[in-house]
Amino acid sequence: MAESKLLVKGAVPPPLDRELTVVGKPLNRRDAAEKVTGQAKYSGDMKLPGMLYGKTLHCPHPRARIVRIDTSKAEALPGVMAVLSKENTKGWRTSWYEVPELAFPELITHEGIEVAAVAAVDVLTAQKAIELIDVEYEVLTPMLDAEETLKAPPPALIADEEYPGREMFDRKPFVIQRGNLEKGFEEADVIIEETYTTQVSHHGTIQTRACIASWDGENLTVWDAIQGVWNSKLALAKSLDLKPENVRVMVKYLGGGFGSKAWSQRITYYAARLSMITGRPVKMERTRSEEFINHSRRYDTKMYLKMGAKKDGTLTAILQRAIVNTGAAATEENYYCRQIIWHTANLHACPNVYLEQTGVYTNRQTTGPTRSPMNMQAIFALESHMDRMAVELGIDPLDFRMKNYATYQSVGTAEAHLTGDGTTTFAAKIPYSSKILDECMKLATDAIDWKKRSRAPVVSQSPVKRGMGMSSYLVLQGVGLFPYVAEAKVRIKHDGTINLYVGVVDIGGGQKTILGMIAAEELGVSSDAVTVIIGDTQDTPYGPSCHASRCTPEMGPAVLQAAAEAREKLFEHAAILLDTDHKRLGSKDGIIYVKSDPRRSIPFKKACQNMGVDESIVGLGSRAPNPAEPMMATFGAQTVELEVDTETGRVTLLKCVAAQDFGKPINPKLCVSQVYGGIEFGVGFALTEEGLYDPKTGKLLTGNLSEYRMPTPLDFPPVEVYLPECEDPFFAYSAKGAGENTNAPTPAAIRNALYNATGVWFNDLPITPDKIIRAMREGTKGVS
Amino acid sequence: MKSGVSSSGSKRHVVLTVNGKKVEADVDDRMTLAELLREELDLTGTKVGCNRGECGSCTIIIDGMAVYSCTTLAVEAAGKEVVTIEGLGSGKELHPLQKAFIEHDALQCGYCTPGMILSVKALLERNPLPTELDIRTAIDGNLCRCGSVPNILEATLEVSRKMAEKKRS
Repeated sequence: MAESKLLVKGAVPPPLDRELTVVGKPLNRRDAAEKVTGQAKYSGDMKLPGMLYGKTLHCPHPRARIVRIDTSKAEALPGVMAVLSKENTKGWRTSWYEVPELAFPELITHEGIEVAAVAAVDVLTAQKAIELIDVEYEVLTPMLDAEETLKAPPPALIADEEYPGREMFDRKPFVIQRGNLEKGFEEADVIIEETYTTQVSHHGTIQTRACIASWDGENLTVWDAIQGVWNSKLALAKSLDLKPENVRVMVKYLGGGFGSKAWSQRITYYAARLSMITGRPVKMERTRSEEFINHSRRYDTKMYLKMGAKKDGTLTAILQRAIVNTGAAATEENYYCRQIIWHTANLHACPNVYLEQTGVYTNRQTTGPTRSPMNMQAIFALESHMDRMAVELGIDPLDFRMKNYATYQSVGTAEAHLTGDGTTTFAAKIPYSSKILDECMKLATDAIDWKKRSRAPVVSQSPVKRGMGMSSYLVLQGVGLFPYVAEAKVRIKHDGTINLYVGVVDIGGGQKTILGMIAAEELGVSSDAVTVIIGDTQDTPYGPSCHASRCTPEMGPAVLQAAAEAREKLFEHAAILLDTDHKRLGSKDGIIYVKSDPRRSIPFKKACQNMGVDESIVGLGSRAPNPAEPMMATFGAQTVELEVDTETGRVTLLKCVAAQDFGKPINPKLCVSQVYGGIEFGVGFALTEEGLYDPKTGKLLTGNLSEYRMPTPLDFPPVEVYLPECEDPFFAYSAKGAGENTNAPTPAAIRNALYNATGVWFNDLPITPDKIIRAMREGTKGVS
Repeated sequence: MKSGVSSSGSKRHVVLTVNGKKVEADVDDRMTLAELLREELDLTGTKVGCNRGECGSCTIIIDGMAVYSCTTLAVEAAGKEVVTIEGLGSGKELHPLQKAFIEHDALQCGYCTPGMILSVKALLERNPLPTELDIRTAIDGNLCRCGSVPNILEATLEVSRKMAEKKRS
């Protein structure tokens, strides 16, 4: 066992020096019983006495100016208790990702922005009031397509039109470079260039956002549908000019997030303000179509890649130019300026690279975290291009990837520079804290019988063609800096009660179960001996929003440290009863024992009783930020076998294999579920999901679940999951994250399998039947 | 007059059975069954994800058939037997499907889960030994974004197998 370098502030807890009895077990999730019985109350299921219902009015244009807004008829409607609009909220700002946005702007920067909010005694009255609001708009020409927008001069700002944080990135290329690109291409025997595009996509959580805010004259209590309670609490307090201690945010159950609910969003602020005005609780819920137009979406991108390699497969040069449509109101913080080029810089070893990412502000909806917000697009282009190179070189795609295997990383995600920043090159070779991508690639290809796959597409007379493809990936892991600070508290009471307090949300990933298991292992008790207090800012220390596969790697070390501190304090009580030194004690399965003579032992509960009745033990834990070195990432490989009917364009996924490097899974059962979720997202992104806009008006045409086609149970492929384990001394029990990273490789694996089946390279996602039929009819060999 | 419905003023009086109990309510003609269940009867286990018959999270069982309660009017359910997720199991004892869903981790966020379980229950009642494709077809109107489908298939197949074994012995 490597020496523990656990990412905590202060002393690293001593190792357990025993086999694990909780961690690594496929335990059932803690909140499953409430969910299968319908007893779980999600935010939208709640009712409070005297509760009012809120509704919002949305601007139907992507770019427009409010010339006049008249809410008088709505205000006069019996049952209406309050109306908000720009007229009575001047200067009020809500917050998304800590970026203050005007709550009700005069100038509308994307379709669907709220122009008024109403609170009434029931939903129908609120809806009627919304319909009575009269708005006159001056409709402006929207910026829609990123490339066209780039060609046009930057827009002059009108009225209070705002692009918060836009100046940080808009139209500015961020660059990662190293070596000598020209020399690299000169050394190459094969050079291939290609352009890839990826589409707008949405989260599609089955629960739409819903919240209740209740103001009692001093304290604001919010039941929300969000992935982070602490970040939302602080942002709400700031917006409403309240002290943080007077704001409590709770999420007991969350019906899916995938990034869309990373923070509280505008309706929560409206509900809070309406409650503060009326003195009554206010409930607001988004309809499905509001959910589509009012939530951030996945960035649509266009990526040009040029790669050079020697005959033996050694990569010599990579040139990448990516354009990212950030939509409206993206900010430096939630626009990942470097993340579409970061993977290209690090996944495969290549000495000469020039990688450039340019973000473009448009009047499409905002963009933001969306289950691998940039990873999936970046990996799609990169791993598609790797297969293209492999075919041109006549090398098996697996061998080609192994030939260029990188044991190190050259650049962190936040390090790309704006052009003109100087001549910084990212040539360092910084090792990883752990990496077993090679093992993952072997497992994934073996499991699908990769040897069966021929290099050239199979020639058959049948219109149904069969093919296999693969993709690998890397995704960054954790940061530990604000707002992703992670703290934990463990309290043990006289009666043996153990409470773990974590200020995070169980978003469906099983955070409650996993963090409870880490505490239980470290304390030496069974998992169910630990009560987990989660999803509530009251009593819990600061915890990060659960997105970016971060909860286990961010919170894990803090929980482990808190539990270890509590255990060591309890051992001082046990040492008295066992007449020994507390440093000689160990604990396991609810028993505290002398390590050198385990027969000398007492039950955990008995040691607790040595405390006074009103006494309790508290252990605290705090995650340290990631160090500059080593680099931390998760890895994996996926393979796909599919059939495609070249006459109907129908793609049938016969089998998907996923081999993931999560370090060590705390709970393999829940990790497998995460992988299934990733495959679901990846399959949808590859084949069916696409947000479409009317090219003239710029309005979203696919704002419902029948037009926006997510995979259904009939589309779900058979999946085989492998979770090879490795040691990573920086994380709790070597547990890295498992979540959004799992969908990153799926689209490229599907696309590469489609080439293997048809001989056509599909470079534009999603690969819908019309694209396949067109390519086959035209007898296209090569690129479609 | 339709059985179980009578009019008084702007509302209609409906009588139906929900989870084995007789329920009476005065409902607006436009009220959906999902609204009646959630807002009037506080049976919030029935979720509404889209309110337009696309996501399936509002699935309930009416007279043995899995139905979207968001696109069924409350008055249409008059005189009928409705089963919601709260009607499964007895007392503290979970229904075998609920147990199997927990055991196989056939849920993550849990929002589609009540609807999924009821779609599967209706299937097993009419076809106790379904193939995997039968199950996929039966739940095809239920969207799960977390990716629980493989585990839902496993859980359902296990319950079906156990039911068959029980019948034989």
